[in-house]
Amino acid sequence: MYEIGRLCVKIAGRDAGKKCVIVDILDSNYVLIDGETRRRKCNLTHLEPLNQIIKIKKKASNVDIIKEFKKLKIEIKTTKPKKAEKRPKKTKKIKNNEEKTAIKTVKQTKTSKTSSTKEKKATPKKKTVTTKKVK
Amino acid sequence: MPAGRYKSRSLRRVFTKVISKTKLTYKKRKPKIAHCANCKTPLKGVPRLRPHQAQNTPKTQKRPQRPFGGKLCSKCTRAKIKSSIQE
Repeated sequence: MYEIGRLCVKIAGRDAGKKCVIVDILDSNYVLIDGETRRRKCNLTHLEPLNQIIKIKKKASNVDIIKEFKKLKIEIKTTKPKKAEKRPKKTKKIKNNEEKTAIKTVKQTKTSKTSSTKEKKATPKKKTVTTKKVK
Repeated sequence: MPAGRYKSRSLRRVFTKVISKTKLTYKKRKPKIAHCANCKTPLKGVPRLRPHQAQNTPKTQKRPQRPFGGKLCSKCTRAKIKSSIQE
């Protein structure tokens, strides 16, 4: 039943419902499959055989199988790995000496103002209490 | 004595550690386990999450990757695919 070139449908896993062909028989339980699914080792219990048989060699390449599938009017999506674009490196803006000095002076004035206000708050006014002597 | 609104046991009781004692807090319960739509067996790989937790978890962690994942169990999906082939 399970021979090289037998069309099958994968039942289990993320490729379930997709058509594949047996490329190689590895074991009494395992086969190598390729087609709409990824090229991978597969358990026979995860396959449902179909009536059709494709003429392919043992361990046929992925390109050959795509050609055979095209004859059966089954298109296989081929995905190419995306090329990573080079990210532009972030460069720190170097400030001029004039700008640096201007920022420093602004900071110093701010700190001096805050310190002066704190001193004022620290010394509250004393209230004068006047007691009237009542005879 | 718990306050009137907490007596019905619809909220679960959680003891949280506070400095020098434990404090009773009330939290909402988890939803029920997801079941297969066909055979009603509990599904694996589907976490029990409250809606706000489900929002923040990625889609791949909330159901199996196969077709009908999170709706049907693996046995029922196999049977369904087989029956579709035979037709």
